[in-house]
Amino acid sequence: MAATAITTVATVVKRIETAGRGIKYFILEDPDGWELPPAQPGAHIDVYLPGGLVRTYSLCNGPHIENRYEFAVKHEEAGRGGSTFLYNKVAVGDKLGVSLPRGGIRLPPNTRHILIAGGIGVTPFLSVASSLLHRGEPNFMLHVVARGELPLARLLAPLQARELARVYDTTGGRPDLRAMIGSAAPGIQVICSGPPGMLDAFGAATRDWPLNQLHIERFVPPPLVFDPDARPYTLVLARAGKTLEVPAGQSMLSAIAECGVQVPTSCGGGICGACRVRVLEGHPLHHDRFLSPVEREHNLLACVAGCADGRLVLDL
Amino acid sequence: MAQAEIDKSTLGWKGVVRHLHLAPRAFLPMREVGELKLIAGIGIEGDRYKLGHEAGFYSHLPEEGRQITLCEIETLWALKRDYGIELSPAEHRRNVTVEGVPLNHLVGKQFWLGDTLIEGTRLSTPCRHIEELTGKAVFDPLVHRGGLNCKILEGGLVHTGDLVRSF
Repeated sequence: MAATAITTVATVVKRIETAGRGIKYFILEDPDGWELPPAQPGAHIDVYLPGGLVRTYSLCNGPHIENRYEFAVKHEEAGRGGSTFLYNKVAVGDKLGVSLPRGGIRLPPNTRHILIAGGIGVTPFLSVASSLLHRGEPNFMLHVVARGELPLARLLAPLQARELARVYDTTGGRPDLRAMIGSAAPGIQVICSGPPGMLDAFGAATRDWPLNQLHIERFVPPPLVFDPDARPYTLVLARAGKTLEVPAGQSMLSAIAECGVQVPTSCGGGICGACRVRVLEGHPLHHDRFLSPVEREHNLLACVAGCADGRLVLDL
Repeated sequence: MAQAEIDKSTLGWKGVVRHLHLAPRAFLPMREVGELKLIAGIGIEGDRYKLGHEAGFYSHLPEEGRQITLCEIETLWALKRDYGIELSPAEHRRNVTVEGVPLNHLVGKQFWLGDTLIEGTRLSTPCRHIEELTGKAVFDPLVHRGGLNCKILEGGLVHTGDLVRSF
């Protein structure tokens, strides 16, 4: 019998390519080449690394390629260790556990999609572009803003050749975001994926757009703002039979970890969904940007959630 | 009023195998196949719950009734009719989709699946795992009709289109 529950999708690293300075492109498959769990265009997976590291990467391949997960890793020298491990240690033939694909970008039919990417933020749009081409709907323009060498140039070249992608080198100054976005009109959707500064500028430039025609893909979780109204509360972990007193301002996730109960975690900022936990009793304060209103009735994201009325019981 | 005595041997059912599926590991999509090889007391060749393979989501909770699992195609029709949910035979994650077989009546009963003999051990319960994999809210609608867990008494090959009969 298996000693513990299987919680990840088993994959094998089939190929690793260099995809720009400090960028490696990983191709994962099932050990027997079986179809992998399906994904939406622009979805992401968590990659489980030794030492409890979990890192989230956007899938680059279109979801119609059913037997592969492809993602790009930019080596962040000042990062928290996940990209360094993948970049330097992981080799072809290694086994990697990954999560089910989550999230994704809605691509309604009969719509023109304007995709604006900053640097390595282009990754989810490779999947989106591949998906739209597969659907026979090449009604999109991908704008890629990067400094110096273009990331993932080999994958972008066919889109550039078809005039479906334009590249802007910021070495000579920032391009005009408003010109890329254009004017709000029915049947147009604009999507931005990039560093926080670019997302802020995008937000300002699209202030007048209807919300249902905008999508912002966040790579870096937004900074947590200390809630001056936070109150201490009692947290009951029903299955573990533990009761904790969480002081005002401490994250629920760290309180749970301190008492030895494991909850997977990735973004730590309420955007990826890895630390989702079922709520059995009580009223959480959510603070996340991931759960739908229906999901919030019985779930919370432990990295950012608080408690509204003094006591919460979780299915842990 | 006293019930009339009837000859129970005249009661019965007869069904047919509509779809066969397996997957070698947890989370992977089920793949439709034309035949399954059943091994008595062990499971299905190539499936995640075969004894000695133990690669399924519930393999850490072993039970002999996970050797082969069945679901009624009528349940899938009812999900569509009553809830507007399209759940395909590949999505319910049972190995065998049958038509005309009253699975809920077969706990503790032996019956023929093609030329193989199996026995119902318990009703399959729906699981949140299926909702996670399919993104469809099927948990509540599948309560009490999630299918049947079975153990394999006599192995052999089962094909799509095979008859399902009481023992």
